[in-house]
Amino acid sequence: MSQGDIAAIFQGAVVTVTLSFIGILIGLPIGLGLALLRWAKVPIVANIVALYVSVLRATPLVTLLLLLFFALPNIGIPIGPTSAAILALVMNTSAFNCEVWRAALADFPKDQYEAAQSVGMRAGQRFRRIVLPQIIQVSLPGLVNEMSLLIKVTPVLAVVGVVDITRAAVRIGAQTYEPLPPFLVAIAIYAPIVFALVSLQRWIERRQSAAQVMP
Amino acid sequence: MIHDFGIVWSERGLLLTGLANTTILSVLAAIVSLALGILLTPALMSRHPLIAGMARTFVDGMRCIPFLLFAYIVYYGLPSLGLRFDNWSSGLVALMIYNTAYMAEIMRGAWAAQPREPIEAGIAFGLSEFRLFRRIILPPLLLSAGPVIGNQMIQIIKDSAFLTIIALPELTHAASSIQSRRYVPFAAFITAVFLYWGLCLVIEAAVSSIGRIADARR
Amino acid sequence: MPMFLRSHSRLFSRRLSLGLLAAVFVLPLAMKAQAASLDEIKKRGYLIVATEDDFRPFEFIKDGKPTGFDNELVEDLRKYAPFEIRQEILPWTGILAGVSTGKYDVAITAAIITKERRKSLDFTSPIADATHYYVKRKADASINAIKDLNGKTVGAQAGSALLSRLPELDDMLKKEGGKLGKIVEYTSYPEAYQDLALGRTDFVVNTIINLKTLVAEKPEVFAIGQAVSGKSYPAWAIAKGNTELQAFLNEFIAKQKASGRFAELQKKWFGEAFPDLPVSFEPEF
Repeated sequence: MSQGDIAAIFQGAVVTVTLSFIGILIGLPIGLGLALLRWAKVPIVANIVALYVSVLRATPLVTLLLLLFFALPNIGIPIGPTSAAILALVMNTSAFNCEVWRAALADFPKDQYEAAQSVGMRAGQRFRRIVLPQIIQVSLPGLVNEMSLLIKVTPVLAVVGVVDITRAAVRIGAQTYEPLPPFLVAIAIYAPIVFALVSLQRWIERRQSAAQVMP
Repeated sequence: MIHDFGIVWSERGLLLTGLANTTILSVLAAIVSLALGILLTPALMSRHPLIAGMARTFVDGMRCIPFLLFAYIVYYGLPSLGLRFDNWSSGLVALMIYNTAYMAEIMRGAWAAQPREPIEAGIAFGLSEFRLFRRIILPPLLLSAGPVIGNQMIQIIKDSAFLTIIALPELTHAASSIQSRRYVPFAAFITAVFLYWGLCLVIEAAVSSIGRIADARR
Repeated sequence: MPMFLRSHSRLFSRRLSLGLLAAVFVLPLAMKAQAASLDEIKKRGYLIVATEDDFRPFEFIKDGKPTGFDNELVEDLRKYAPFEIRQEILPWTGILAGVSTGKYDVAITAAIITKERRKSLDFTSPIADATHYYVKRKADASINAIKDLNGKTVGAQAGSALLSRLPELDDMLKKEGGKLGKIVEYTSYPEAYQDLALGRTDFVVNTIINLKTLVAEKPEVFAIGQAVSGKSYPAWAIAKGNTELQAFLNEFIAKQKASGRFAELQKKWFGEAFPDLPVSFEPEF
């Protein structure tokens, strides 16, 4: 494996990290928005959201990505590989995030909300100061879990030509016929990132259960 | 557009073969990885540091790398070490090994949540270890872990779609083949999405009925 | 997780959801992309070109830059055309579908002209002579002539003319009492060659040009066999009926031929020039 090959894998790492970051960043608030729409039981829209989330959680990312990349231009919306990749990641992760946010919202004690209402807080204030901080805390482990899952599905972006870590490693192996070294480099890049996220999740869970134990 | 769906319908044989492959692959992988996972769980919780350490390394390792990378390693990397599988076997083996780690972790979590009393009662009654396991430990464990295992099964179905990249003729591969030859991308992939959704609804229904059995037992 | 099933038990939401599902199928009826004509391209100022990501020696990536026979011609086209050239690099399986549905204006890649493709695509003048050959592992002494391919496993690219013309090889084998073995489809050729080297397949079918490049790169691993097809020409693909764009591109190709640039590139990338290429070609298969 040459210097150029290692550089190619690191270039792939930049792509992986950038696209994952964008996907996570956009997916988090969208997931929250979807969860709120269902929580508030907005008529018709809540059902659309339920359908969207159900289908997206059942659809493999590779199928969704191929669908977006090939079918959208077919109905008049041109889309390139990177945009299709980001869109697929965002759609996928927002559906899963929605469920995490929803679970937190469902557990939210209604009386706090009503107390705030009776004191005269506006809806926006109510949400920002009472609901949001608490549901963020509850959702955090699930959201961090979803982040690590997102990074683990990024290799699939290769089907539309996006060269990520895995694709770069496979290409090198297909040229040199020595696939193991680039694969080991790929593992060396993925594992720390995912392990860091998983450890973060465990740490958050431990801190939260400790906080609950104390009276 | 209707014409496009007509084309997809004319290729339904390929799609159904793909669906069958996805289903077979996922069911086999789920059963084997669950069985192996159950065997691995005691190792995970063992007090023997070496055994627990190795099990923990395996589980954490599998959970830290992407499934597709693991599938590539099994398909392209293993031949360098003398193990050459064809794409079906590679895909199946990759799915099984990868998910064994996840199943072991799931069962460990379910085990930790189990009440101890029935087991202690069983020991006091003098049940042999095997009968203890089969009749007292395993059933409530599986029932309580049911939803999470169902979730993992859905994950397995979705991971199987990755295997289209090593040319395994599963559902996404079939849809891809149809669209690249007949130029009907929307119809082909929407149909595939619909079929995946259907598969997942079946799993969710099965999980619900397991949940009802669990409630009835209580 | 079974939450959607529960919400479905209310009749209103079930009907609504089914209605939405139906809408998903009907919506695309309303809009379907059309390929841009030459005038539209001139007006909007750019041409969208699609090339494959890994198809030596026609187009591939080296040190992060696209290069190869087709990519060099794309650079020439940039200087020749009165509009901007926007290039998209993607795997083969998306290219022809993209041209047919209007997503790309032209695929500047080695798309072999076939009868099936002519139903939904038009082609420019052929850019090379590309009879199909097979390649085998050099160390494999069991394959020396066409009849030895009987029952052996073959690899070819998914969605390629090489795959769709395998029946020609099957006919050749049938004449000697044999037949084609198992067919394995790959997303791209590097993977097919790798599997051949690993022993998962016994031979891979590709054009003589591609195979010559492969054997030049890895002479200890592979050896080229005999031809497995009749005449075959690759060209650039455009949407059917886009005659002005076709004329424009053919003029470009003719100009490159006249100035000797075409032969120069062919010698550079294929090892030989093809001076007697037809200007247009109607496929038999």
